Amino acid sequence: MKSGDEIIMTHKILIFAADMAYRALDQAGLLHAHYSPNTVIFRIPCATLIRPDLIVYALKNGFDAVFVASSGPDCPFLGEKCVSIVSKRIEKAYELLDKEGIERERLVVSGVCSTCVETLVNTLERIENFLQSRG
Amino acid sequence: MRERVGVYVCHCGGNISDYVDVKKVVEAVKDLPNVAVARDFIFMCSDAGQDLIKEDIKNLNLDGVVVASCSPHLHEKTFRDAAALAGLNPYLVEHVCIREHCSWVHSDDPEAATQKAIWIVKSAIAKVSLADELQPIRLEMKPEAIVVGGGIAGMRCAIDLAKAGIKVHLIEKKPFLGGRAAQIFKLYPSGKTGSDLVKELVDELKRYPNIHVYTNAEIVEASGALGDFKVKIVVKPRYVKEGVSKEEIRRAVECCPVEVLDEFNYGLTNRKAIYVRESSYPEEAVIDMDHCIKCNECGIADFEQKEETYELRGSMIILATGAKPYEPKEGEFSYGIYDHVITLPVFDRLLAVCDGKLEYEGKEIKDIAFIYCVGSRTEEHEYCSRYCCVATLNAALGALEKFGKLRVYHIYRDIRAYGKYETYYEKVGEEGMLFIKYDPEDPPVVERKGDKLIVKVRDLLTGGEELEVPVDLVVLSVGMVVEEAEIFNMLRVPFSRDGFLQEVHPKLKPVETAIGGVLIAGTCQFPKDTVETTASASAAVGRAETYLVKGYAELEPFIAEVDPEKCDGCSVCVEECPAGAIRIENGKAVINEALCKGCGACGALCPTEAINLKGYKYEQFRAMIDILKEA
Amino acid sequence: MDIKPEYDVLIIGGGYAGMEASLTIADAGFEVLLVEKEPSIGGHLIQISKVFPTTDCAGCITTPKMAAVPKHPKIKLLTYTEVKNVEKIGKKFRVKLVKKPRYVIEEECIGCGRCEEVCPVLVPKEFEYGLIGRKAAYIPFEMASPKKALIDLDNCIMCGRCERACPKDAINFLDEPKEIDVTVGAIVVATGYNLFSPELKKEYGYTGNLTRIHDNENPNIIHAFQFERLLAPSCPYHTVCLRPGDGKIPERIAFVLCTGSRDKSLGNPICSRVCCMYSIKQALLYTSAIPYGEATIYYMDIRAFGKGFEEFYNMVKELGVRFVKGKVAKIETNENGNPVVVAENFETGEIEREEYDMVILSVGLLPNGSKEIAKILGVETDPYGWIAQPDVNGNPAKTSVEGIFVAGTATGPMDLPDSIALADAAVSQCIAYLKEVKD
Repeated sequence: MKSGDEIIMTHKILIFAADMAYRALDQAGLLHAHYSPNTVIFRIPCATLIRPDLIVYALKNGFDAVFVASSGPDCPFLGEKCVSIVSKRIEKAYELLDKEGIERERLVVSGVCSTCVETLVNTLERIENFLQSRG
Repeated sequence: MRERVGVYVCHCGGNISDYVDVKKVVEAVKDLPNVAVARDFIFMCSDAGQDLIKEDIKNLNLDGVVVASCSPHLHEKTFRDAAALAGLNPYLVEHVCIREHCSWVHSDDPEAATQKAIWIVKSAIAKVSLADELQPIRLEMKPEAIVVGGGIAGMRCAIDLAKAGIKVHLIEKKPFLGGRAAQIFKLYPSGKTGSDLVKELVDELKRYPNIHVYTNAEIVEASGALGDFKVKIVVKPRYVKEGVSKEEIRRAVECCPVEVLDEFNYGLTNRKAIYVRESSYPEEAVIDMDHCIKCNECGIADFEQKEETYELRGSMIILATGAKPYEPKEGEFSYGIYDHVITLPVFDRLLAVCDGKLEYEGKEIKDIAFIYCVGSRTEEHEYCSRYCCVATLNAALGALEKFGKLRVYHIYRDIRAYGKYETYYEKVGEEGMLFIKYDPEDPPVVERKGDKLIVKVRDLLTGGEELEVPVDLVVLSVGMVVEEAEIFNMLRVPFSRDGFLQEVHPKLKPVETAIGGVLIAGTCQFPKDTVETTASASAAVGRAETYLVKGYAELEPFIAEVDPEKCDGCSVCVEECPAGAIRIENGKAVINEALCKGCGACGALCPTEAINLKGYKYEQFRAMIDILKEA
Repeated sequence: MDIKPEYDVLIIGGGYAGMEASLTIADAGFEVLLVEKEPSIGGHLIQISKVFPTTDCAGCITTPKMAAVPKHPKIKLLTYTEVKNVEKIGKKFRVKLVKKPRYVIEEECIGCGRCEEVCPVLVPKEFEYGLIGRKAAYIPFEMASPKKALIDLDNCIMCGRCERACPKDAINFLDEPKEIDVTVGAIVVATGYNLFSPELKKEYGYTGNLTRIHDNENPNIIHAFQFERLLAPSCPYHTVCLRPGDGKIPERIAFVLCTGSRDKSLGNPICSRVCCMYSIKQALLYTSAIPYGEATIYYMDIRAFGKGFEEFYNMVKELGVRFVKGKVAKIETNENGNPVVVAENFETGEIEREEYDMVILSVGLLPNGSKEIAKILGVETDPYGWIAQPDVNGNPAKTSVEGIFVAGTATGPMDLPDSIALADAAVSQCIAYLKEVKD
């Protein structure tokens, strides 16, 4: 391989990591846990920020799946309120996906608290399995 | 659009470069159109690393910086400060994580880790290309703080804050200050009693009129943020007239006809329905209404007193809510089955209340077995509770000192008499007490034989010999578990895996929680002995004083902003904002900066994308997606 | 030198505790004078590869503080400076400092290292515990702060090559000690610890000779802080974990805990608190670096008592590191140069002999000149020579003199979180003292 060449990976998962989920990713690192390297992390303060059309944009522009890792009820900005607002965002995003003919499985949302390393790893494994089933 | 971005990839002395090919990352981005320079270095966070960035900013006239190293939670500020010193707006620095989020989690696949690092760095370049110059928000800090928990940690905090001229609200749920340390028979290493220590702290605390103590207080609401927390408390009445003299209280207690088990001594002794705590605070009586028969024999009762509600405010909150002893399960080492199986805190009180001879439940105690690590280092509580080894050795020595000849067995796993406490271990050995090391896979069993308890244990120190130790009393050296408090949920402070409160970083931010302005002190963080507890309390104050004494804080500028050109005044954002921070004025949305929490919820459904969170603009996210499209 | 006549606080010692205390108190708005006797701040922590139990790199914790201290507008840093005399006048302290001669003009030196390149004299490098050499004209280590050269005149042969090579004409052989008088409002002692010298434990065969094997000199018996350097990313041989004797990769190693701790015969009866955990951490780092390597830890009690420690210990045990509860009687040397550990296994009662490629002595911590500084300050020490804490349960940062406080391991061995807690505790006590004196 020439230097500067990029290694070809089969697919790409976009993780929107809200504050607590970002800390969980830190924690996963400290514990040296393993998960799929086909991941790119976008740091956001709170998952309520995500525009549904941004999810569609990502899926139409090179990403094979989007994982919205919200802080769940531990959200330092909104607390429990965060959960219902995020699910509203996701509902809206699903509608847009249906319209575009994109499988709903490509969008996954989960509340990830700062120590929820397992949730993180398991969710990514699920997404990975789905993507592999699609080849 | 930023045209001259500098990219810096850290080796982290191998932590990153052992798995991520940092040279390849540099190669992959150095020719991007708006990248002016890309470099790798062994420690970006070091002086030399920071100098590298600063020199480049000056010499190459950079208008944006990307640093790829550890988590931004550790060093984002370091790099922002460095950039600021070189004259670049600190918010034009994008710090991304290729250690915790990459090299450490993909150490099994260096090629993929390298690819992921390239993705992360590229997206950061895209993001910083569209970044704006931002200014931190300056927040005035009134010298006023709230301390939750009136044990030795809370008292130490209150005193230290007050000495620095800070007004303190000290909240305790029990009727008296002192917490669990007050119950310790003998402290190590000073040899004082727990109540001596509490008395000293109380004496000091009384000297400061700017400490407001609320005992018998329940927190019903807690909200706010750094600089302005509100805590609403309900103070239960003491049902005792105000301003009565010590002599009147003494007589009143004497006259009260109701005797109940004294919880302070775990029911080993009785107290009256009206009572005071010697050497604690306040020096007032309280009536235990669960047991009072309202006879008013005491003559100082006031049954008309009502609950009072206070709204306290503080710029910061220190949580000093403490821990509690692990309560063994029914049958754990026969606890709850035989009366003479007790826990260490009860044994401590037994030592304090017994006079002349050591007696429990009508039986003189001549031999004792201590079983260590009860509720610690187990499947349920994997952590070591730290204080119990030395506390147990110390209690055994205390028992010997007060009651003379006792036969004592220490049934342990490892004696963790760390540091100078080793001398306690040594002393116990010199006193002829016996040590038996047990295997946690095959723990000791406690049975009864006649009027003795028999501890059956396999001793690892004698090659697994089966021993039967006959004793009068079995003392379970129980660990600590966190004391739950409502305020944890109200403030949404995160926990560690061990159930205690989580600091941001054990070394870099050891008393800070993820919630800005909420600090932790004492055993709510982790089991500690009294020395470590008061040290951590003073430490929390030290850290708090960087705001409270200085008088202001500087906060991140990440709040919502409206582009009036695009806004059509539809008010979707007003509905979406969970903080009520947006209103429509003259047909345009307007943000109340003081109320904005910085969540970004307002922008998600805006039909014209007129509202954005500073530092996290939607066009930035799209650029981040675009740059990875071809990859 | 731009030194003011008066500072709010004098901090003695620029190790981690001293830096932490300086930065916190300066952030609260007070003027700090930080004095370090070595040519660079950073203390022991900068020599350590990774910290337990999180195994994040020590450099990432230390270097930003080392960078922040000299930059802070409220901190004046004086390295290579010692406290000579302290006199309490009223509530304040009159302090006499001596800045030792570097023989390099600090303001001029740009840390380019040319003097080092040309210097012909080679002596053991302190930073690497003698595993490799340094020159007589030298920069103490890569990450030094300030990154300035100095000349070790005891070993200098006065050849003048450095003088000719220096692009800034910064070499000054006529440099002399400078006395500095300042007044300070409060003092924090953060003088830290020293290592136990394993030579004193004769039975363990450590001689400090790292090059040759004589009858009784085995370079494959090293101490844990040397091993820490061998494991560090910036390791002295540029390949992680080579044994000093012959550069072989050690495939079987053993740690001997409690070397110089819990040992009355050596005058140090106390436990050093950190050796269990640093050894467990080193065993983990070793097995990660050398996957086929086998590590054995000889211990008396495993003292994994801090937050996350027990969990870390369990993890390392599960990874296959062998723990032997036993007392090491002596360490011998085989004909092939390998060390042989002779130990009593407490669980079997047998005396066992085992050969290893390398043995690491997990040395304990001793006071770092706290007796001397205590004498100058007039504060008391405990029976082991650490700074005494007269109100240890209620206010552990207090010393026996009002206005003088203590931070970190000056009070005794402790790990980093405890050391930091005591440093910040000293800060709040200082602020309280300064505020109360003012009112």
